[in-house]
Amino acid sequence: MTFNDRIFGVLMIALAVAYGWGTTLFPEPFGGAESVGPETFPRLLTVVLALSSLYLIVRPDPDNAWPWSRTGVELIIAVVVLVFYTMLLQPLGFILSTLLAVGTLCWRMGATPVKAYLTGAVAGIVVFLIFNFALDLSLPLGLLSFLEVS
Amino acid sequence: METLGYLIDGFGVALAPHNLMFALLGAFLGTLIGALPGLGPANGVAILIPLAFTLGLAPETALIMLTAVYAGAMYGGRISSILLNIPGDEPAMMTCLDGYPMAQQGKAAEALAISAVASFMGSLIATIGLILLAPILADFALTFGPAEYFALFLLAFATLGGITGKNPMKTVVAACIGLMIATVGIDNTGVQRYTFGVLELYEGVDFIIAIVGLFAISELLFFIEEKAGGGKQKMSVNKLTLSWKDIRAIMPSSIRGGVLGFIAGVLPGAGASLGSFIGYTLEKKVVGSKGYFGKGDPRGVAGPEAGNNGASSGALVPMLTLGVPGSGTTAVLLALLISLNITPGPLMFTQNADIVWGVIAALLIGNFLLLVLNIPLVGIFVKLLSVPPMYLLPIVTMIAFVGIYSISNTTFDLYFMVAFGVAGYVLRKLEIPLVPVILGLLLGPEMEKNLRHAMDISDGDWTILWDSGLALGLWVFAGLGLILPYIVGPLLRRRMQVSTGTGGPEGD
Repeated sequence: MTFNDRIFGVLMIALAVAYGWGTTLFPEPFGGAESVGPETFPRLLTVVLALSSLYLIVRPDPDNAWPWSRTGVELIIAVVVLVFYTMLLQPLGFILSTLLAVGTLCWRMGATPVKAYLTGAVAGIVVFLIFNFALDLSLPLGLLSFLEVS
Repeated sequence: METLGYLIDGFGVALAPHNLMFALLGAFLGTLIGALPGLGPANGVAILIPLAFTLGLAPETALIMLTAVYAGAMYGGRISSILLNIPGDEPAMMTCLDGYPMAQQGKAAEALAISAVASFMGSLIATIGLILLAPILADFALTFGPAEYFALFLLAFATLGGITGKNPMKTVVAACIGLMIATVGIDNTGVQRYTFGVLELYEGVDFIIAIVGLFAISELLFFIEEKAGGGKQKMSVNKLTLSWKDIRAIMPSSIRGGVLGFIAGVLPGAGASLGSFIGYTLEKKVVGSKGYFGKGDPRGVAGPEAGNNGASSGALVPMLTLGVPGSGTTAVLLALLISLNITPGPLMFTQNADIVWGVIAALLIGNFLLLVLNIPLVGIFVKLLSVPPMYLLPIVTMIAFVGIYSISNTTFDLYFMVAFGVAGYVLRKLEIPLVPVILGLLLGPEMEKNLRHAMDISDGDWTILWDSGLALGLWVFAGLGLILPYIVGPLLRRRMQVSTGTGGPEGD
């Protein structure tokens, strides 16, 4: 099967076209046109990317299997966890969000829930203490801000 | 001799107590990173960069620490090759061949000690080579004009895959993607490009975020996919009984391997894996039928191990003198230099002489430290091998988050990092190499600047790009770099595969 490279090649050609089209939208630089304007280098890239992607479509490599079904779901869970970690970092604070994120990741990778969340909690607290006291960088406390020592 | 004076100054920098302390810390962390499963040298150095920033280290201290990490990771990588027959990275593949049989015969400690000594010799030779060669190359590079630099960057991309690379076209695609990302932001004429009016994009995409995302986050996803969460069984190492005679016996092999490795490291397109491969094959040829290679010959450990470390120090030569890295890890070190506002290249040797020579001296000192660390502490590093990735990788991911967050204290960068991680996973699945993407991100601005200068000089005449003999030569080599893999690549790859018996992991 050689779909991967072909599909990727088509996508990259689409990117090249969109990117190349983008160069026509640049405003004229102040001081008039020069021999190399802001659009010259991107246009070169457009041509090179389009040609090399075309090669991928014509001579694709054999496919690597994609993880469908269960493993695929696990991967999506992992990405969702990372996105939530980012979202909750400031409102929940570093320690709690790390507990949840690292705990969930450990658990989904095969640790028992208790051990997983314990790892998350310990990692969160240790890193927080190191950063706040040893390195003098403030990570957000969030919900736990009542613990703050001035 | 001028070089000697600089070197002595360099030792002055490197031996300052706090620099020495950070070198020791770096060497220790590096070995850890090399030994732990799922953390390659490039990945490890990348995660540590934001931390080095947030610590507010002086440029030379940060660079010394991370160079020590780089050297240490090369040491650490061999532990799993020898004990588990699993190469930590591609160059360590050849170490498996005789290292693992030695471990099976109950000589694991000897194998580890021999490889430590050989690594030391390899690095030492290569560092001396670096000291001799780098100033010459830097002087030569001063004659480069913008057109030559433009061609040189092309050469760097073209040879990045190495002549054993699988599909050079994929390197080209990857390089284009990286260069395109580099064009995002306000360019030097003040025009906004591809910012879509998003304020955070005005300054362009921070390559540190991209590097950490591409390496660390995609690694996590790969481990999840392979369900490789469980740890490896505990390994025990016998007591070390190594005499001076044994060490003397491997010296010739180490020296040969180190010299070869250094040459392979300096040349574009060869790289550490070819260095260790040639090192091993040469050992087999030289020793001939007197050896028992493949069945636990100590010389079969020493040769490739010295070659591997020689190549990794050799790879610093083009990075320091030309600003053009030849491997993933040196690309990451280049990222560090650029973010420290040091322009790598020939001028660095005059403008930032203290930093360059400090780092070179630190390499020498780091190697002594590593040798001293490695022989007594090998037991600790061996224990680390059995840390289950299911705990380790989430924590590494968390540290990556903390590092990126601490650069700007905004979560916007973290979303970016996750997006890069997913993209990195997809690209790796498609066997699109990630290093050219990163190199594109790093070199994009310089490449465009040089193109612009060249065009300004010639008043818009494109032929200036290949007008001089030097530039033309670089173009020819770049072309060869793309064509040769199709001709000799399959042959060499098959040979390396036959001799190792396995495909080996994907190197990055």
